[in-house]
Amino acid sequence: MTNAYHLHNIKVSLKQKEILSIDDLAIKANQCTALFGGNGAGKSTLLRLLAFTHQASQGEILLFNEAVTWPLKPKYRKRIAFVEQQPFLLEGTVYDNIKLALSLQQVRTSQHKMLIEQALEQTHTGHLSKQNTQTLSGGELKRVAIARAIAYQPDILLLDEPFSHLDHDHIDLLEQQLQSFCQQTGKTVVLSTHDHLQGMALSQQIITLRSGKVSPPLFDNIFNGRLEGQNFFTDKLCIHTTSKLPQAQHIAIDPRQIIISNEPLQSSMQNSFSGHIIFITEQSTTVRLIIDCGERFHVTISLESINTLKLQLGNQVYLSFKASAVSVF
Amino acid sequence: MDYFTNSLSGAFALIISFDPTIYQIVFTSVAISVTASFIAAALAIPSGVAMALNQFKGKAFLQHILNTLMAMPTVVIGLLLYGLFSRLGPLGQFGILYSPIAVIIAEAVLIFPIMMNLAITAVNSADSRLVPTLVSLGARPFPLAIQVIRATRYAMLAAVITGFGRAIGEVGAAMMLGGNIAGSTRTMTTAIALETSKGEFELGLALGLILLLIAFILNISLSLLNRPAHD
Repeated sequence: MTNAYHLHNIKVSLKQKEILSIDDLAIKANQCTALFGGNGAGKSTLLRLLAFTHQASQGEILLFNEAVTWPLKPKYRKRIAFVEQQPFLLEGTVYDNIKLALSLQQVRTSQHKMLIEQALEQTHTGHLSKQNTQTLSGGELKRVAIARAIAYQPDILLLDEPFSHLDHDHIDLLEQQLQSFCQQTGKTVVLSTHDHLQGMALSQQIITLRSGKVSPPLFDNIFNGRLEGQNFFTDKLCIHTTSKLPQAQHIAIDPRQIIISNEPLQSSMQNSFSGHIIFITEQSTTVRLIIDCGERFHVTISLESINTLKLQLGNQVYLSFKASAVSVF
Repeated sequence: MDYFTNSLSGAFALIISFDPTIYQIVFTSVAISVTASFIAAALAIPSGVAMALNQFKGKAFLQHILNTLMAMPTVVIGLLLYGLFSRLGPLGQFGILYSPIAVIIAEAVLIFPIMMNLAITAVNSADSRLVPTLVSLGARPFPLAIQVIRATRYAMLAAVITGFGRAIGEVGAAMMLGGNIAGSTRTMTTAIALETSKGEFELGLALGLILLLIAFILNISLSLLNRPAHD
């Protein structure tokens, strides 16, 4: 499999503070890659480097295995599209904005109308075509920016927090579109998100950034098994999910989404198991527990909770979590 | 006090009666300043945009030079250009001293740094996402500059108006290089200086009032342009 990007010894500093430092990182072509990380982890900075709108303080980036120079040559520029977290649209109508992108990329004028209509249709923004960009809502703005980015048919689509400001219907739509975009030959998607579940559902490769450095992905509660309908069967448990991915073989549950109680809970949560606490450790302001319910679950709770619940090693407890807290991949 | 009020009513009478002398002077003044503003804008806006969009060695130093030029007294510009244009100077053979061309050049030189500085500020204070967005959409250097000017056009227009305001109110260089020749280089400011020294207070006051009116109109248009939302 070829690499869309290969980064070597990349460093980005701002006012003497190092905000990104990557020794070696490859991003594969023909698939979707998710960037994880909290605020200030360097996700946006990395995406800007990949979009070649900002220059690294040092290091080298290979684009499709070719060394590229700054500023990026137009033939490469045309292969990359970048949608910022808060995209900027120029004055004028939505149509004007997409047309400008095509003109700047020197796409032949005869193709403009067809490409613009195609992009508007794909992002369901056709009704906004004649609307002034200053009157768009946050979600509409994002979709128009995506339309503008895909209009010139790039090979690489870079999206910074693409799902923020979108409602559920449009999140689903965008997820489907990104998946079908990746399935076309030679197309690559890199997106950043702070939502692990969404990122894992969409992506084949996951890059976790912490304080500007690539860190090994730390996923807890990963179980292997098979999905039947919406139920996931590990060797010992049946876990309810909201997914119907037929080929799924793994699930992961965010340790923060699991609720601990001393008595069984009457609630809308579909997953509830009982088990024994076999491990307790304190981590700054949180407490990490491991509970054996047949499968071992990692759970993160607050310091207050452990005192209120009077949790001790060996106690029998109940853990509950929503079906939607389970990511399937 | 009578002297002042009599002069003021006389001045108004001159303005209302469309006194040809006054309007000849006003026309010369406006024509020279408009031409100078156009020339300066044509050079200063592209230079300012180019400087704002590019990083190069000595940029900070160039910015200091521009700031210094903005503060340069007009008589110093007059003096330097006088040296260039006078019969013994390097450009003496063209005989442009005491012609409107000399005044136009002087005023263009005077307002160039102001306009360029304001053009740089206009680009720098535009939305920080403007340039990266255009770059990511494939803008090559020239289309990039065009789009940046388009997006900052109100600020650019404000730069031109500010420069024009400075040019029309300028007296030192206009006097030294134009020579205050009636019908040719006699501008409002040089005429006011002359008429006052002749004791023709009314005519000076009439021109002064027109100059104030122009300044007022310019300020109104600037504040309209600088309103936070243009729509």
